[in-house]
Amino acid sequence: MSDRSDAQLIADILGGDVESFSILVHRHRDTCTRFAVRMLGSRTDADDVMQSAFLRAFRGLRKCRDPERFGGWLYQIVINECRTFASRQRRRDARFLADQEVIDRAVSPVEDDSGEAISEHVELALSKLPVDQREAFLLKYVEELSYEEISEITGVGISALKMRVKRACDGLREMLEGVFNG
Amino acid sequence: MAEYRDDISDETAALAKRAADRLRTPERLAPSFDDRLMRSVRAEAADLYPPGSGSSHSWRGARLQFSPLGALALAAGIAAVAVLSTLAINSRVTTSARAPAQSVAKAVPSTDTVNLVRFVFVDANARSVELVGDFNEWTKGANKLQLSGAPGVWSVSVPLSPGRHEYAFIINGSRWVADPLAMKSSDDFGTESSVIRIGSPTRSTT
Repeated sequence: MSDRSDAQLIADILGGDVESFSILVHRHRDTCTRFAVRMLGSRTDADDVMQSAFLRAFRGLRKCRDPERFGGWLYQIVINECRTFASRQRRRDARFLADQEVIDRAVSPVEDDSGEAISEHVELALSKLPVDQREAFLLKYVEELSYEEISEITGVGISALKMRVKRACDGLREMLEGVFNG
Repeated sequence: MAEYRDDISDETAALAKRAADRLRTPERLAPSFDDRLMRSVRAEAADLYPPGSGSSHSWRGARLQFSPLGALALAAGIAAVAVLSTLAINSRVTTSARAPAQSVAKAVPSTDTVNLVRFVFVDANARSVELVGDFNEWTKGANKLQLSGAPGVWSVSVPLSPGRHEYAFIINGSRWVADPLAMKSSDDFGTESSVIRIGSPTRSTT
């Protein structure tokens, strides 16, 4: 689509070539999308968050410390947006989803062991994790970042991250035992 | 997988890995995503990044630009420098972690509309120190600190309008350092900056 580097594109955008931002969007959109969808459990919500994150990035381009690493910077913004959204979502759910048993039943093992059903169980179990554990698990296990990388992106210390990942794994095991059969 | 486990049991790590495999399938946003986003971007672009403004990008090290208002402020700043001994508006002293601590000097804000604020950064190993902030649109190169006699003591004086300002230092052209002695700002981008408040003539300065 373009052989201009991220830094070149950002320089062009700051110079008034706004259309170059669409190249940045196209280049980095998919990297963050999976994380946002898994974090929020909804493509619609992820769409909102990604729109907001890219707009914030656009508004704050001058504060991008290292334009060559725009992708990592964008990731930080997406994570922050997801946290904010998830926090609002949690408050909303507390109001409208008082019956926790509904979720508990949905996550319990069922007879349907098709790949699609298993994925749904995993996503539901993931959604039950606290936001900080879900975030750490996704970045570590799904996005396969190192603890050092996660710490740099999230601003959370490595020890705390390891504890969050451990608790997330323990929680998933508790919820998913019996879902994977062999 | 060994890196993942820490004190996670083998069984738990294996199950987590299988769960992660399920979650690793790619996700795509709606085809209209880019168009919707770019409509919003274009709506804000004219104010944020007018054509021809690119040379002031903070990390491109480009030329400094002066607006008429900025030139006026600079003129006021130069006037203040001339009487600095009596006005001595504000001073921020920042010490890097590798250097001994220094005291922070404060003074009464000027009654002028522009306050001259002296930023001091102490780092014996620094080769260059620059000040970036909302007052210079985070423009690298706009406010370079100069060695001011004592080894490792860098300073620059900047005219600031009353109100809240965010700033940070860039060491050796690349290392971003927030002022450890100032209040931190919590921004949306994971970038830690510092906050200074310049009081109006009727308020005290922090």
